[in-house]
Amino acid sequence: MRESVLLKGVSKRFGKVAALDGVDLKLKRGMSIILGANGAGKSTLLRCIDGLYKVDTGTVRVDGIDPYDNDEIHRKLALLSDNYALYDYLSVRDNLKFFGRLYGLNDSEIIERASSVLKELDAYNYMDSKVFELSRGTKQKVAFCRATINNPSIILLDEPTAFLDANASERIRKYLLRKEREGATILFVTQKIDEVTRFNSRIFVIKKGRIVAGTDSASLYKSMLKDSYINVRLARQISSSRLSRITGLESTNGRNTTYIKVRISSSKDINLVIRELLDAGAEIAGIDYTEPLIEKMSLDGER
Amino acid sequence: MDFRNAWAIAVKDMREVFSSVSIYGPMLAVPLFFAIVLPVLTFYVTIYAAPSVISRISSLPSAPPILQGANAATFMRYFAINVLGPIFLTMPILTSSVISADSFAGEKERKTAEALLATPVRKSELLLGKIMASFIPTIILTIAVFAIYGAVTNTFAMGSFHEYILPTAAWLMMILASPFLAIVTIGIVVLVSSHVRGVKESQQISTLIILPVLIMPFVSILGLASLTVAFFAYVILLLAVMALALFYVSVRTFRKDRML
Repeated sequence: MRESVLLKGVSKRFGKVAALDGVDLKLKRGMSIILGANGAGKSTLLRCIDGLYKVDTGTVRVDGIDPYDNDEIHRKLALLSDNYALYDYLSVRDNLKFFGRLYGLNDSEIIERASSVLKELDAYNYMDSKVFELSRGTKQKVAFCRATINNPSIILLDEPTAFLDANASERIRKYLLRKEREGATILFVTQKIDEVTRFNSRIFVIKKGRIVAGTDSASLYKSMLKDSYINVRLARQISSSRLSRITGLESTNGRNTTYIKVRISSSKDINLVIRELLDAGAEIAGIDYTEPLIEKMSLDGER
Repeated sequence: MDFRNAWAIAVKDMREVFSSVSIYGPMLAVPLFFAIVLPVLTFYVTIYAAPSVISRISSLPSAPPILQGANAATFMRYFAINVLGPIFLTMPILTSSVISADSFAGEKERKTAEALLATPVRKSELLLGKIMASFIPTIILTIAVFAIYGAVTNTFAMGSFHEYILPTAAWLMMILASPFLAIVTIGIVVLVSSHVRGVKESQQISTLIILPVLIMPFVSILGLASLTVAFFAYVILLLAVMALALFYVSVRTFRKDRML
């Protein structure tokens, strides 16, 4: 099967800053995720794939076509950037009609598709509101609807859940998983490890404009838990003295605590801490971890 | 090129401009105000100061022959065309530069260009759409302003001199030059917009285009050139060539990434 997206030796500079530095990437159908810190080159990479930037060196091919020189490829491409890119003084309906018409859709098709996505994202009630009247999260939902109005087969997303609440984020994920099942190629860039691990996808890590590792969720957990912390929330107060034997205990939020912070070095430590907590009579309400800085993480096979 | 895409862009831009009175209000109010006030002032100058103004202009070495021994009606006709005309010719420049700067540099400033360029729209469609979005309101406003200025001038002329002063062939040629002036202004703003960061920088270019037009009344009064039908025919020809050249250069040199 031919790659949907192929990048060979792609470099892009802005003045003295090398945003991308010799990127090689092959994407086939399904979901792939690019994980990188702020300024690592994630957004520039998406813009090069979408043909918005002319690369300095290297080649970009989307379904075998150079996207910079061929506007027609955009009929099957979607780009949701990190800003919502909607016209503030137009209504949601007029924004969607405008973009839909540029894809050659008629107004009834546009409204039908937009209604379906906006209902799915719980934003249909804002159809006739002006964009400047909307909250940031609702703008993000409308922008997602705008980006996917052409029913794309290749979807490029830059932090699509950045401003969304947990419920809306989950709806976006469900939409993407459905598109993945339908055979779309999805490239999702983010700086949140938590977001990455919600998908069982190929993961590429980008640092300083270079793809430094190709990995998966299991390897990512292994790397991120090497020297990390977990935060455990307890359903009811427990005396701190009963928790003194917990391995790696860093801090609690009082003498009678409902929250503890524990240092760990692997997933085994998490399981150990849970057992120790249960043995101490604690009732666990939730566990999360403090995400390490991506640029400081050392990944297996990092180039 | 799919004209429907260009038209969709033009309609979207015009709807944005006319979506808020705070955006289009000042753009419409100032020209309409001048369209009424300037002819009224001209009338009072004619009634109360025509002889002294005529004698002073006539004393210049290269004074226009038409003013030698002219009466008040001739003076008003001369003033309405040679002095007011060029002032009103700045309207297509100002209006088109404001809208086109907002249309191009505004997409960059408000970060909406990325979504627009991510669609299958071709650059020729994008440019044509943006040009139409600036051109159509400009021409409607310019014709309205010339019509009001002509009507006010004629109302006063009929009351005092019992004759209509406008239109004359030169005045009509002046109106005919307006679309070409607008197109050239838009073309220059388009070229500049891709090299600047925002709307304000883009609008500055209009001051450079206005200067030659504002010199025209002085050139006329000093007798260095006469604003005749032939003069405007040459101006229109020159502007048409410039407009074509600018559109060609804009399409050839337009790069999507400069709008981001």
